[in-house]
Amino acid sequence: MTTSAIIDISTGQLLLALVFILTAQLSSFVFRLGLHRDIAVGTLRTFAQLFLMGYVLTYILHSDSFWLVVGVFAVMVTSAVFIVKGRVNEKQVPYLLPTFITMLLSYFTTAVFVSALIIGSAPWWEPRYFIPAGGMVIGNSMSALAISIERFFRELRQQRETVEMKLCLGADYREASADIFRGAVKAGMIPSINAMMGVGLVFIPGMMSGQILAGADPQVAIRYQIVVMLMLVGSTAVSSVAVMLLIRRRCFGSGEEPLLSPE
Amino acid sequence: MAAILEIRDLTFTHEGASEPLFRELSLSVEEGQHILLKGPSGSGKSSLLRLICRLAAPDSGIIRYRGTPVSEMPPATLRSRVAYVAQIPRMVDGTLEENLLLPFAFASNARRSAPDRALLERMLDEFYLGGIGLDRPAMKLSTGQQQRVALLRTLLLEPDLLLLDEPTSALDPESAAMVFSIMERLNREKGKTLLTVTHSDYRPEGPQVALYRIENRTLSLQP
Repeated sequence: MTTSAIIDISTGQLLLALVFILTAQLSSFVFRLGLHRDIAVGTLRTFAQLFLMGYVLTYILHSDSFWLVVGVFAVMVTSAVFIVKGRVNEKQVPYLLPTFITMLLSYFTTAVFVSALIIGSAPWWEPRYFIPAGGMVIGNSMSALAISIERFFRELRQQRETVEMKLCLGADYREASADIFRGAVKAGMIPSINAMMGVGLVFIPGMMSGQILAGADPQVAIRYQIVVMLMLVGSTAVSSVAVMLLIRRRCFGSGEEPLLSPE
Repeated sequence: MAAILEIRDLTFTHEGASEPLFRELSLSVEEGQHILLKGPSGSGKSSLLRLICRLAAPDSGIIRYRGTPVSEMPPATLRSRVAYVAQIPRMVDGTLEENLLLPFAFASNARRSAPDRALLERMLDEFYLGGIGLDRPAMKLSTGQQQRVALLRTLLLEPDLLLLDEPTSALDPESAAMVFSIMERLNREKGKTLLTVTHSDYRPEGPQVALYRIENRTLSLQP
């Protein structure tokens, strides 16, 4: 078998893929899942955002402007923070600013490390490597962060009496919330660790499939994929721990009393 | 007798409430006293205890422990001297021994030496918990037993002042009598200062006992 040019997908063929959405909508309708609106909006957003991204990427990947690349990266992180906000829905504790700063710094460091040191691109911000690496880090760690933060707030409310009991026995706020902190960080990290267990056996990652479909040597695609898997675990761990450390203090008052009202 | 606790002009409003729960409340507790605090539900009795140990923050006023404003004390130091025992006892997953020794795992108690098993067994006897066994899972104890464990666990830190928030409200009469008996022993024999919120008719005798009532946002001494 020889490698041939990649087969194009026509507009009609693309629309044919909507059959999958129709089956999802049918399930939602039959079983009253109440997801029809989310599925419809999600589908429209997938089309709109990816086509837009395609045009933007074509421009950015051929750009030699450092500020444009960094600006796009900042926009991606900002969008991720708002998606986290949508999933967490917490009003008593101001957690968005520390989350944004931590995400920006940790994801930027990870993306620079991968593009400059591991891939060895020159300059280190070469958009062809820096933007996709950043995108994967942001997308993956954003989900982990949303899981961790949401769980931390929920558990802190549910276990308020236990936290207070520990405080009354001489614990500081870190000791009183240590179990909840660990549980929340672990909950965010487990999907990335599970992904390492199943990769190549249970599923073929999208990035690797995309590279192979686009005609890349599978051996090269595999090396890139390994870097991506390791990068995602590392960035998830660092960003989750850093964000949780910063927002945990905000959940306690000046007397280290829990601020979140019980549910 | 010297004042161990001074409360002056304390006003407190629950978050989101339009009216204060109480206004300019003052109270002086002397060493060795047993103060009973009564009043209707929602009058602010429990809130007052929580303010003393900084589990809540007042709108205005000052609380002093041995002359030092509690707001200037490190929270962990304050709470190991002024110990609050909640209405519903809380245990962590683990044995009775692990629960009793829980406070000694915290950095602020690092200088205290944890009691050995023999001492714990003796103290369990004093708290009507003899024969239960230190290896028993704490979660499997009855609420009455857990309340006595919670009290004992707090006393292992040797606090000066005990804040007891309706310690018998969740207990059957037999368990409640045991807790009252422990409280009286702590106050009379060991000289501990107690500030107890209660709904019951419990009223120990002695010159060191004082009954206060909190109602309509004010506190008054009862005959």
